[in-house]
Amino acid sequence: MRFDWSVVWHNAGALAEGVELTLLLAVTTMVISIPGGIILALMRLSNVRALSAASAAFVELFRNLPLILVVYTAYYVMPVTTGLNLSALATGIVALSLNVSAYNSETFRAGIASIRKGQTEAAYALGMGRWQTLKEIVLPQAIRRVLPVLASTWVSLFKDTSLVSVISVGELAYTSMRIRAQTFRVLEMLTAMAAIYWLLGYPQAKLVDWINRRYGVKE
Amino acid sequence: MDLDFTPVLDSLWYLLGGLELTLALSVLTVACSLLLGGALGLARCYGPAWLRWPIVFYIDSMRAVPVLVVLVWSYFALPIVTGWVLPPFWAALVALSAHISAYVAEIVRAGVTSIRVGQTRAAFALGMSRRQTVRTIVLPQAIVRMLPAFGSILSITIKDTAIAAVIAVPEYMNRSQTVAGQSFHPLEVCTVAMAVYFVILFPVTRVVDMVYVRLAHLGRS
Repeated sequence: MRFDWSVVWHNAGALAEGVELTLLLAVTTMVISIPGGIILALMRLSNVRALSAASAAFVELFRNLPLILVVYTAYYVMPVTTGLNLSALATGIVALSLNVSAYNSETFRAGIASIRKGQTEAAYALGMGRWQTLKEIVLPQAIRRVLPVLASTWVSLFKDTSLVSVISVGELAYTSMRIRAQTFRVLEMLTAMAAIYWLLGYPQAKLVDWINRRYGVKE
Repeated sequence: MDLDFTPVLDSLWYLLGGLELTLALSVLTVACSLLLGGALGLARCYGPAWLRWPIVFYIDSMRAVPVLVVLVWSYFALPIVTGWVLPPFWAALVALSAHISAYVAEIVRAGVTSIRVGQTRAAFALGMSRRQTVRTIVLPQAIVRMLPAFGSILSITIKDTAIAAVIAVPEYMNRSQTVAGQSFHPLEVCTVAMAVYFVILFPVTRVVDMVYVRLAHLGRS
């Protein structure tokens, strides 16, 4: 068996574009899902029964579905049910955001719950409002506890962006598999794809381990 | 809008066959990952020093690469390197186990290192051998602490088997795609698929949460 690795160099430009789109997907999803997660967490913690139940239902639903099914459903069903005609890229971002928002909401809820109630009560005793207490007392502390978990979610998200390749979004996985199909250099292209993901993902995984050691909550 | 579930009902046995494969692949993957991951985790903690860095490298690499990439590589590229052509189901089992055992190994390591060093020292002071200490002192406590995380592994595995649809393993996700494509009723087929996965996964996550609450005190030392 002879291998021809030049196919990787010939398509370096396309692969770089794929990497760019992978990063764009991950960043956009995270930018949407952090506020999304905060809103869902606040809804869950609110005293209004309907808000809390709606948030719980959303979170439990998306935590208990395979992401690839959500991606596929968003692509084939969302245009029919909502009348929205989004591009494949936008659809991918919607599907990823639904999933990551659900996880982020649980992260924020745990972070907020980890700040003892006495602090909120003390803030109320000092005459601070509900919103002010949340903004100035609870959230600044919760964020420190939430950061390591968000970092782990980021790494998972970075890997999960590969799943939107099933709806033909031209990110790294899709681009590599497209070039594989065009050139028949199966081993070379798939190995290049794995190597690029590894080069991007390995330092991130190591960085997350460091953040966890540095900021992780200890007993 | 009118919902028409007849395409799903017409393909009921076909879809149920897919569900069977999803469950079989999940159970086999979890079993293989527990064995392989357990061995890797213990080798990392107690094995010879020269064995540790390749294991750490393997675990971190698997954590860095998407499971889709591992699946596609195992199915399309591995036969070119090794000459063994695996059917999709077995290629998926190999790929998913290779990926998930890295996570299992991390859980095992976290469980073992969470047992304070003083206990091992005390066992040595009482004249117990290394093997005996690990088997009778460290592992019984560590395994209790690992249980909730193993539960999450089960739900992660069931979700990851859906990705095997990409390499044409005829499991539930793949067969749903086929039925949706042939019947032109993706809305109904996807709704049923979401319900099926939710009905399987929700009890798993719930039971894991309950087990966690019930067992949390047993893991204290």
